[in-house]
Amino acid sequence: MSIFTRSVPFRANTIKALNDPSLRSALRHATETFAQKRSEAKASVPFEAWRDDASAMRSDVLSNLSGYLDLFRARAVRAGATVHLAKDAGSAREIIVSVLKQFSAKRIVKSKSMITEEIHLNSYLHQQGFNVVETDLGEYIIQLAQESPSHIIVPAVHKTRRQVGRLFAEKLGCDYTEDPFVLTKIVRRVLRDEFVSADAGISGANFAVADSGSIVIVTNEGNGRMVTTLPPLHIAVFSIEKIIPSLADLPKLLRTLTRSATGQTLSSYVSVITGSRKPGETTGATELHLVILDNGRSEIVNGEFREILKCVRCGACMNVCPVYRTVGGHAYASTYPGPMGIILTTLLERMERAHTLLDATTLCGACAEVCPVKVPLPRLLRRLRELRVEQDFTTQMERRGMDGFALAAQSPRIFHLGQKVARLSWPLLKKLDGNGALVRMPRPDPVTFTRRMQ
Amino acid sequence: MTGGETVNIFMDKAAKAGAEPVSVKDIGEMNRLLATILESTEQIYCPGVTEKECAVEIPEDRRTDDYRAASVCIEEVFGAIAETGSLICSSHGGKTVQAGLLPPHHVAIVSADRVYEKLDDFFSSCGDSPPTNITLETGPSRTADIELTLIVGVHGPERLSIIVL
Repeated sequence: MSIFTRSVPFRANTIKALNDPSLRSALRHATETFAQKRSEAKASVPFEAWRDDASAMRSDVLSNLSGYLDLFRARAVRAGATVHLAKDAGSAREIIVSVLKQFSAKRIVKSKSMITEEIHLNSYLHQQGFNVVETDLGEYIIQLAQESPSHIIVPAVHKTRRQVGRLFAEKLGCDYTEDPFVLTKIVRRVLRDEFVSADAGISGANFAVADSGSIVIVTNEGNGRMVTTLPPLHIAVFSIEKIIPSLADLPKLLRTLTRSATGQTLSSYVSVITGSRKPGETTGATELHLVILDNGRSEIVNGEFREILKCVRCGACMNVCPVYRTVGGHAYASTYPGPMGIILTTLLERMERAHTLLDATTLCGACAEVCPVKVPLPRLLRRLRELRVEQDFTTQMERRGMDGFALAAQSPRIFHLGQKVARLSWPLLKKLDGNGALVRMPRPDPVTFTRRMQ
Repeated sequence: MTGGETVNIFMDKAAKAGAEPVSVKDIGEMNRLLATILESTEQIYCPGVTEKECAVEIPEDRRTDDYRAASVCIEEVFGAIAETGSLICSSHGGKTVQAGLLPPHHVAIVSADRVYEKLDDFFSSCGDSPPTNITLETGPSRTADIELTLIVGVHGPERLSIIVL
């Protein structure tokens, strides 16, 4: 478990990202396009009122989560599903493997799911001898490249068409092309065979509907529908906070989610799956297993960070975040990047590992302005920074610096002395090693603000 | 809002989402339209369960019962939603929802009196025991995973034709 106890080398990752021009241009293009589409999509609708509704509904669910979960379990079982509760990532993986073994499933198709990234499912299934194929185009690309997603909506956003063309030529043996149309059609052909021959499909769920026991899956490509209807066995994995009270509540989230994520009025496909195939039906898996993951969330829901669990994973906060837009998702070295990712990672994987990520915010507030369910992201980020100080996760230098500033801020004499020292020692300070940020800072002005005001 | 207005909004939104909606007056007009749409199509799947599906004219040598091998699926769907231009595909009554997903061309017949105005109008009517699978289908299958370039027809249909009757 050493990987979880070492902290994320966020600064080193940042430097690497800043020195990668193709990554930076891909990020700029993608985040600007998404932000633009989102603005257009909300222009002619009462978006603020919709955000209020969506936010109120998510808050209601979190205040009564265990009641809704009990109802969901009962109704899902009534509809023919088998429901499993997983306390943590390890038990979720074990449950999934035992279900796959029970049905002798070897070939597995997957649709995009962040929760399966969170529990590192694919690598575990490979170790256990299963053949798992990601079927979302972006996920397929990064699976071929043996990488991890860098964005929760467009996982391969960091890759250029040339990189994808070279990857396909190398791994699939096709002729090199950088035409996204041709590349997409190659994947359609390759994956169609996988869909038809798979023994099992594994998906996530965008929402789980308490009073009908349904799960809701929102996709654009159609792979989610194939994964959940073609193989005889369907396993859906999702976390406890995905619950909504009833299908009547679904439109509130659909309207805000898809506009915030991709600027669409609605994604191409919204599937509501209620239990397994029933007698006389010809649609749906004959076996449906639902794995509901806690992984630390029932602790979060009872604490001061509850509101992060309102998140519907649209990705809008990362698209507007000045840090994410500059360094991209891989710099966070976590399942979830961007503002929501920093918060969730710190809570799920503890301060020991995630304290460095708390530098990845400017607290500018852009994320709070776009969040479709009004998660107070800057407030939660600030509170985590306070905890970082309280729990002693800041560097010696930062703490001494803050102590010094606190002293100086209380005495004009010491403050002015500090300004003088900084000005005089500036050329020397810049030459010291490890002062990366200082190098880019302008020299202190000889005429200070206070003197100018006098 | 009148039924006619709702249908017009539906057709407008569906077209914006990349579908090809056409409104027809009767079965005869539907079949004339289908003949032009299907001119070059080889294998046609049509479940032939509902009255309108049974009225679809397909040359016997081009009809197939295997939707996996078909190049087009013609079917009547449960209904539609004007707000989003979506079709409502439902497993209600034993319908094979994935038949409209696998062939590259999906031709959906919608009754004009089954077009809901808002998402809420439909989902509020679902209750707590919906059929096994309800899928809203809005435009053709799409992706933008490579440099955010929109490509139509990834895993699902490349083309979606809608006939409102």
